[in-house]
Amino acid sequence: MNRTLKILSVAILLVPGVLFGISWAQYRVGGWLAESCPVFHTQLQLCDTGGTSLAWVSALLFHMLLFVMVLATLLTVAERKWSAFTQDRIGPERARIGPAWMRKHSFGGLPHVAADALKMIFKENTRPKAADRDRILFWLGPVLAFAPVFALAAVIPFGPTVPVNGYAISAQVANPNFGLLYVLAIASLAVYGTSLAGWASNSKFALLGGVRAASQMISYEVALGLSLVGMMVAFSTVQLPVLIGSAAAGTGQAQYLWQGSVLGLDFGVPAWGIFLQPLGFLLFFTAAFAETKRAPFDVPEGESEIIGYFLEYSGMKFGTFMISEFIEVVVLSALITAIFLGGWHLGFAGDVALAQGLGKSHPVLYGAFCGAVFAMKVVFLCWFQLIVRWTFPRFRYDQIMTLGWKVLLPLGLFNLFASAALVLLDPSLHWLAVAGLLEIAVLAGLTLTRKAPKSGSGHEAAGHGTPDVHALPAAAASAHH
Amino acid sequence: MAYYQATKDPTTDIRERTYVPELLHGLAVTIRHFMRNLFFPRDTNTDVLNRTGTSQITTVSYPEEQVTYPPGYRGLHRLVPREDGKPRCVACYLCATICPAQCIHIEAGEYETTDASADSRVIEKYPTSFVIDELRCIVCGLCVEACPKDAIRMDTGRHTPSEYTRSGFVWDIPRLLEGPPVNHPSDPWLKRPGSERPAHAHLEKHARIGEGLVPLKLPRPAHPVRTEVTSGPVPVTKFLRD
Repeated sequence: MNRTLKILSVAILLVPGVLFGISWAQYRVGGWLAESCPVFHTQLQLCDTGGTSLAWVSALLFHMLLFVMVLATLLTVAERKWSAFTQDRIGPERARIGPAWMRKHSFGGLPHVAADALKMIFKENTRPKAADRDRILFWLGPVLAFAPVFALAAVIPFGPTVPVNGYAISAQVANPNFGLLYVLAIASLAVYGTSLAGWASNSKFALLGGVRAASQMISYEVALGLSLVGMMVAFSTVQLPVLIGSAAAGTGQAQYLWQGSVLGLDFGVPAWGIFLQPLGFLLFFTAAFAETKRAPFDVPEGESEIIGYFLEYSGMKFGTFMISEFIEVVVLSALITAIFLGGWHLGFAGDVALAQGLGKSHPVLYGAFCGAVFAMKVVFLCWFQLIVRWTFPRFRYDQIMTLGWKVLLPLGLFNLFASAALVLLDPSLHWLAVAGLLEIAVLAGLTLTRKAPKSGSGHEAAGHGTPDVHALPAAAASAHH
Repeated sequence: MAYYQATKDPTTDIRERTYVPELLHGLAVTIRHFMRNLFFPRDTNTDVLNRTGTSQITTVSYPEEQVTYPPGYRGLHRLVPREDGKPRCVACYLCATICPAQCIHIEAGEYETTDASADSRVIEKYPTSFVIDELRCIVCGLCVEACPKDAIRMDTGRHTPSEYTRSGFVWDIPRLLEGPPVNHPSDPWLKRPGSERPAHAHLEKHARIGEGLVPLKLPRPAHPVRTEVTSGPVPVTKFLRD
């Protein structure tokens, strides 16, 4: 019980509290920056398309450098710890730090972050002799793998635009009117880093990894972009803040398609992307996995066969590849949150009431609350991506290509045309939502029902349909038979 | 992943052909494991199969928790002492001869015939040095079977502990000799049935034998002196003398 309470308090109090604090500090510092440097501020714009002031510096500091980077760093240990829990192991816990009373606790393996970072930084930075003639490209490899992925986070709105000290402060570094197109363009740049790393290493295995990464990422770019067009069509925009919308104004994903009220709090079906475009969500999620080059799409890395495009890298250069992979996980989680999961909106239980009450009286607190909701959704999706990585076995290479070109691409096209037709028929999105909810219902029905056991072959039924084979003694006993 | 076969095989179910429901089932399994192991404390019972509780972690966190060996486990060998604390070994070389790993090295000493106790000696030889290289030993137990004097046994129930140097694994008499003293009726220094001489005469003679000849260091020193190996294969004889 003690452990349960500890974990619950961390998950319910500490993590949301820290995220709330980051968001609150960002709004406050942004307001202070806008106030102290009013030259950069053109006019007060109280709309969700973002402000135009020096406040973007605060978003850069608090959301990109603090939230995204720290979360990505923590994910390196979380990957090991969480994979251990899915596999009935303990995971890393031996790194201890600080005075004697601190050394008695493992702190969930968190000191391993420091240990890993120190190891990466102080390891010898070697370069193979064969890579000498391409030393600039060799050096550019990790840079080009890291930079585009990190730059993706610039257009992600980590919270609503709220008035602070009379200035409209947004939680977004930049809000270009080509928002999602920027994401797709920059994301496809990341392939240069991996290809260059594979080429400049002058190693056959690294080259194989680089070529695999290039073909895989280019193939899945198509499905990645196509799966988002449905959402762009539904909301007639490519700007992420407009996609997310405003609960107070009832726009974007914050609007309710069907609304009721319980105890003065509003409930209903919000126009979230996952309800309008469940197929698009699945396609995007799959393609995003291929873009991160993580299992089940990890043939560019291919630990068991070719080590991958970063084979010849050591020290912090390898660490840069590693951290850019986790940053990609975080950024894609944030994208999915913004596009499909309603961004910073709860979507139920008084979302509108909160926006009209707290949003008017204490806008900074409301903004920080929304920022915490957004960040919690991001953390959840990061966890989900890691769980997926530790659940599914890897694809073979031809299967990756088949899935990308023969399954995801036709499905994406079908989804696009069907969604566009539904939006054309009913611009209020209700028909689109009905189609989406039907898709979810079919999927849930297929998942919750079981395949009828084949009569006459007990082995098949026992091997496939038994839902609970997890009690360890039982599993061990059956293994003895 | 077998999605290609699953999607093409007409005998499969629609749940398998559409692929996603089966993926969700797999996710449910791992998430269930994750939640149980995350939220609930681990049972530290070293008998892993009999662990109870909601958490399903099977790790035994060595060395804080150590699995008890099964009753049949015998472990490392030891030299058996006599009543006077010296090894029962008579340096017959049978163990060193039969050892398939050739890890036992014995140097025998003989009691001088001019020794004060020479006229009364009952055994001729003793080991001036008895060394086992634990890195070579394969714990086969043939030395125990070969020993005619019950001088070496495998009943400690321990495995080889870790050391920082290779020389730390070369064990000599002080390190090997342990356990309660053992006597057998057939021991030559004991009074035999029908003997005319008093019992203490047997023991006295025995106690004088080899006095000052075997430099036994008992009890074991707190910090055993180790010879540092710098490079290359080192013959085992390097460690035989101080």
